[in-house]
Amino acid sequence: MTIFSPRRLALATSLALLAVAGCSGGDDTKGQAADELTVMAPLFGTAPDPGGELQQAVEKLIGKKLKVTWVPNAEYGDKSNVTLASDKLPDVMVVGEKGSSFVKAAEAGAFWDLTGKLDKYPNLKPANEQTAKNSMTNGKTYGIYRVRPLLRSGIVIRKDWLAKLGLKEPQTVDELRAVAKAFTEQDPDGNGKKDTYGLIIPKWPGGYGSASPYDVIETWFGTPNGWGERDGKLVPGFDTPEFLTANRWLREWVSEGLVNPDFATLDSGNWNNPFVQGKGGMIIDVNVRATQLLDLFKEKNPKDFDKVTLVGNLKRSDGEKFSYPFTGYNMVMAVSKQRVRTEEQLDQVLQTLDKLQSKEGSVLLTNGIEGRNFTVDGQLAVPVNQDDPKIKAIQNDVDKAFIQLGTRASVGLGAYKLRPADEASRKMRDKFDVLMNEDLKTAVFNPAQGVLAPTATAKSQTLDTIVPDARMKYLSGAITEDQLKAQIKRWYDAGGTQVAQEVNDLVAKVGG
Amino acid sequence: MATDLVPEVDRPAAKVSRRAPAPKRRRRTRPLWQDVLRYRWLYLLLLPGLVYFLVFKYLPMYGLTIAFKDYVPFLGYSGSEWVGLKHFEELFTGPDFGRLMGNTMLLALLTIVFIFPAPVVVALLLNELRVNVVKRSVQSLIYIPHFLSWTIVASLTYLLFSVDFGVIANWIHGLVGGQKTDYVAQADWFRPLIVAQLLWKQTGWGTIIYLAALAGVDSQLYEAARVDGAGRWRQFWHITLPSIAPTVVIMAILTSGNLLDSGFEQIWLMTTSLNRDVADVFDTFVYSIGITQGAFSYATAVGLFKGLVGVVLIFGSNFLAKRLGQRGLF
Repeated sequence: MTIFSPRRLALATSLALLAVAGCSGGDDTKGQAADELTVMAPLFGTAPDPGGELQQAVEKLIGKKLKVTWVPNAEYGDKSNVTLASDKLPDVMVVGEKGSSFVKAAEAGAFWDLTGKLDKYPNLKPANEQTAKNSMTNGKTYGIYRVRPLLRSGIVIRKDWLAKLGLKEPQTVDELRAVAKAFTEQDPDGNGKKDTYGLIIPKWPGGYGSASPYDVIETWFGTPNGWGERDGKLVPGFDTPEFLTANRWLREWVSEGLVNPDFATLDSGNWNNPFVQGKGGMIIDVNVRATQLLDLFKEKNPKDFDKVTLVGNLKRSDGEKFSYPFTGYNMVMAVSKQRVRTEEQLDQVLQTLDKLQSKEGSVLLTNGIEGRNFTVDGQLAVPVNQDDPKIKAIQNDVDKAFIQLGTRASVGLGAYKLRPADEASRKMRDKFDVLMNEDLKTAVFNPAQGVLAPTATAKSQTLDTIVPDARMKYLSGAITEDQLKAQIKRWYDAGGTQVAQEVNDLVAKVGG
Repeated sequence: MATDLVPEVDRPAAKVSRRAPAPKRRRRTRPLWQDVLRYRWLYLLLLPGLVYFLVFKYLPMYGLTIAFKDYVPFLGYSGSEWVGLKHFEELFTGPDFGRLMGNTMLLALLTIVFIFPAPVVVALLLNELRVNVVKRSVQSLIYIPHFLSWTIVASLTYLLFSVDFGVIANWIHGLVGGQKTDYVAQADWFRPLIVAQLLWKQTGWGTIIYLAALAGVDSQLYEAARVDGAGRWRQFWHITLPSIAPTVVIMAILTSGNLLDSGFEQIWLMTTSLNRDVADVFDTFVYSIGITQGAFSYATAVGLFKGLVGVVLIFGSNFLAKRLGQRGLF
């Protein structure tokens, strides 16, 4: 250690500091610029060219320069947490309004509380009461919700397999099981081998109550969606007998081989593969997966691709029906206080967003530029000139990126609906609405959707994985039902008791 | 201290430290500036390294203060409230600590037992090969896995061991029969797979440093031994092994500092709902609470704790090495 005499060290340090001081310049972020709007949003493909035709059209509409940080969707959660930890927030950020780092930041005053402020902007005003409530955090609106259909759950089934085995579309859970059994045991692909299974489930990235196939199935059996009232108190869905019944039922599926054997590890990005390859015959997920699969079959064989059908939520054995609804939105657009400092600036930003969400703006974000990449036929948008690379770029910018900036477009508010490419897709699209309206009558909403218990945030690392992991272990046969119950008790002991108390109090206070 | 770690080159570190004590006596008699002036070019050479360590290794340590605060990004480093050791208390008394510590330690133990000696053994075996072409080609081939990212290694593992379509899994099932085993999902198979992946990926690369040490052994020693009638085994035992022992010790000390680094990427990619109980380690825990849940202060506290354990391990093994009569790192 002697070569590091203090004086030498001091000299070297001072030299080094000089060097550092020399290369760092002053680049402090200033507040929001009046003629520019910075946004952070998810991206589903390649990022748009900032000078591209579509971006220019959007900028012309809002009368401001638009600077969007496009972040690939797969890493959006991580990236937004890192952004929240930095001092470089954008003016407007697409963000999950119940993520713990967002809530902490918002409660510390990093984002505007927009409660009651949106009503004077015609295109930002919440269109649906239930969704507006869902998108609140403990009674406060921290952002403009990006609307999605209120019910999207369904079962995608191989139509040709049903026909081959002479089965009809299932309406109850028992019929579903019969179909799964037939798909597994009666050789639906006709190759003489027992190499198929009924249901395909992937490794689910989310926790409990995150629209996983497990959550949907549990709801059919009468399990509350997230939280539900039992004996006058709200309890988590997994603390009900229905939860156990549903999983006992599903566990039999696993042990009988009706589910893909790698359901604990199959990557959710590869969910379609076993279906298209003819290994499995059913998927429980959002309805748009049906059109996705239809397109994949079409790619494989354009002449014979009508192999997919969609069924809505199912009845329980006793005939009662409970449907799994969605929250009605997907993330919100929050306005940063760090960049947008005064009420006037906020008003300006909201006016700009209002313009962006107008009929004209929604068309740009959802359909593209009329006459360039689509034309209007009645009420439907028809893609045109798709072979031209320039047009292709516009279409790509719309589908993979700009549509994410829309808060109303995806349910057809403001924009045109896309004309389906073929008869099968058209029928499928029509089915979406029919099934949604039918299932909404029996939808089980989460009464605690709009609240966030502080303990759940503080202890999420410990709490969040207990029940989903235990459920997986139970389904795979690694633990018994008593051990599953013990894990649920462990959830309560590790802080769940407080969470339940807080949820009850908060719901009583803000009315869910 | 960090600058002392520089002899991470592929040469026995002994030479470096042997030269250092020589000018010690004269140093006190001559003023510092004369020294600097005289060796100015050497000092200039030192400067970039020093700046690098200061800027990228020491200045960021300021951020560690948030381990003792309730850090809210909006309020900044200085604006956040001091909370003392709250986060450490939470860690040590929390329900996860025992499990995390156990898993991390067990993986560290497996590293010491299986991963660390593997390159030494392979290097010694390679050294005994007398056909140069074979030696060279084997050497090059076993480097390759090192250049594959963990994502690819994990995907390969899934492809080979998946219960649905895994080639090796099906092959084993064909041999053994019975119920199909889900190697990638089950808790029992987590650690064997992790060790196997590490062995496959890092052993070849690890041999470089030992092969370099072996190449440096004076061939006269072998000749003399042969004249004295020493056989192959005697030569190995009395010349080869003592020659690389210092390298092995240095590597052991360096490795001990990283023992708690369980390889975040690898473990994260191999974690499933079924094996989380055995897969959760400090690294994945820090990631989950810090990046995924935004509890920056708590995550920093956990990371700091891990770092401290690493420092203790380095000093401990250095002390041990000296006690056992080997040359230590510092």
